[in-house]
Amino acid sequence: MPDTMSTRPVPRPNQRPSELRSATPHRPNVLSLLVRGAQGRHWTFAVGVVLLALVLLVLVLTPWISPHDPATQDLGNRLAGPSADHWFGTDHLGRDVLSRLMWGGRFSVTIAAITLVICAVTGSIIGALAARRGGWLDELVMRSVDVLICFPDVVIALFLIALFGTGYGTLIAALTITGWTPFARLMRGLALEINSKDYVEAAEILGSPKSYIVFRHVIPNASRPVVAMGFLRFGHKLITVGALSYLGLGVQPPDSDWGAMLLDAQPYMERAPSLGVLPGAAIFVTALSVTMIGQGLDIKKRRKRAKEPTAIPVPPPSTALVEGEAL
Amino acid sequence: MLTFLIRRGMTLVVTLLVVSVLAFLIPYAGEGDPARKILRARVNDPALDPAQVEALTKELGLDRPLYVQYVDWLREVLTGGFGFSFTSRTPVQELVVPALGVSVSLALAALLLALVFALPLGIWAATARGGKVDNAVTFMSQSAVSAPEYWVGPVMVLIFARYLGWLPSGGWTGPAYIVLPATALALRPLGYFTQVTRAAMSDVLSAPYITAARSRGLSFPRTLVRHGLRNSMLPVMTLFSFWFAGLLGGSVVVEVIFNIPGMGRLLYTSVINNDVPVIQGGMMLILTLAVVINTVTDLLYGVLNPAIRVSSHA
Repeated sequence: MPDTMSTRPVPRPNQRPSELRSATPHRPNVLSLLVRGAQGRHWTFAVGVVLLALVLLVLVLTPWISPHDPATQDLGNRLAGPSADHWFGTDHLGRDVLSRLMWGGRFSVTIAAITLVICAVTGSIIGALAARRGGWLDELVMRSVDVLICFPDVVIALFLIALFGTGYGTLIAALTITGWTPFARLMRGLALEINSKDYVEAAEILGSPKSYIVFRHVIPNASRPVVAMGFLRFGHKLITVGALSYLGLGVQPPDSDWGAMLLDAQPYMERAPSLGVLPGAAIFVTALSVTMIGQGLDIKKRRKRAKEPTAIPVPPPSTALVEGEAL
Repeated sequence: MLTFLIRRGMTLVVTLLVVSVLAFLIPYAGEGDPARKILRARVNDPALDPAQVEALTKELGLDRPLYVQYVDWLREVLTGGFGFSFTSRTPVQELVVPALGVSVSLALAALLLALVFALPLGIWAATARGGKVDNAVTFMSQSAVSAPEYWVGPVMVLIFARYLGWLPSGGWTGPAYIVLPATALALRPLGYFTQVTRAAMSDVLSAPYITAARSRGLSFPRTLVRHGLRNSMLPVMTLFSFWFAGLLGGSVVVEVIFNIPGMGRLLYTSVINNDVPVIQGGMMLILTLAVVINTVTDLLYGVLNPAIRVSSHA
């Protein structure tokens, strides 16, 4: 009896082990997804994991390993080249560039990560509920997605800054207003697919409430594509945060991030080109690493899903549009 | 089809209403009353004469209830435009229209440049899936989408304008001025276009009609052009117009770096200077255009591909 009473999916005889694993409501965490190996994935996936691990390691250890205080000025030693004391030289106020890169990176990556988590969680929940409830809620959500997904992030940010002024709240809100939409669209497609599965029908017959089904079956089963999308969007967020800081509207002094460092470097590009190259390279490497990881996860997912015939034709999650949203 | 149009039309109207309310509220948000802020933006003098503030409040009717002011403002916007810029004292239309023209040409130049490289690369990768070329193209496209314009742009200026002196570093007075900004702007769409072309082409190439065409004796290049291209271009075209809509106002960073008098820079400077009429006009124009262009794209998509017209709901 316990099997039929439980809302857990009952394994079918012809079910493949991989299918079984994804059907259990066990939540795979990001780490185990990554560690589960680069086998069978594109080589860029492994490169991405290594790069991201390096970047994160440096950023986490920054308080202990940064060679100098990032704010200490040394006006007698401005725009200096690399030396034993300052590996990457000094900036226009004689501050150590390496230390500033480390501390600035913590701002860039943290802000991008916070907005990303907010977008992924709200977007997924909204998408799953829209698919589950249908009707006017679905209509409202999808129409909002249609509209918001066309708005360029930077324009929305300018709009919010005109309304509320600069600040971390405005920055995160600006990136969230449009940022949840790709997750909602993806999650809705996935949820429609999962909702047609036998175990969801079983749960419904047993009288489970809709919210239970959403949180117990739909969200855990959709986690891999959503995580893949999360990695893909992370790079975009990082670049947008940097863009706003570059325009002087993001991270405000005395704080500094990679975009703000690029802005500071502009008048000195000819005298000290490395000032204008290194922070951009840091954004590039970090964005590249998460893009590689995201596409690696995404490709595997597509191959696996392609083999399983789905019960109803799922509207294409329109990867094209979703990726095109990276404005 | 009709329900689709009605649905999209209503979405557009609701969007415009929401955007217009927010645009209307710009002078009221934050600290201080709007009259004070308008005067400050106009005269750039922190010490304001209270009598002047009082007079302007009366003159603009700022002491009336908000909704009355909104309706009045909306009527004015719908009939007479957005008024005059605080900083340059010219009508907003005269600022916005030329700026939009500049942005359109910049966006088209960048996206066509991206397309010219993306199509061959994507097709090449798709015909040799898993090979060295495919690997190289994948890596290249991933790099392209990860490269921020505000990094590539200034570095290109340093190399091609300062060191080599081949191209101007900024401005908008001749064909040479479009090369660097368009290249900087093209990089990320180039990456996305390549990926989408590759994906669409690989899907098409594994379709049965390709095998059928090949077994009828059609040469591979000809199959590629006649059947492959025609069927794989739809997603690329959608992405193209999506980016086009986004770049009309969204190329702020590149326009600022290269000092281009386009829509993005206009929005940016108006926000910096708190030039409310220009912010209101520019925002409403750009956000409307974004929604309209994407709606038209969806319509065209349905026209070009009858298979999805049925499920216009999704």
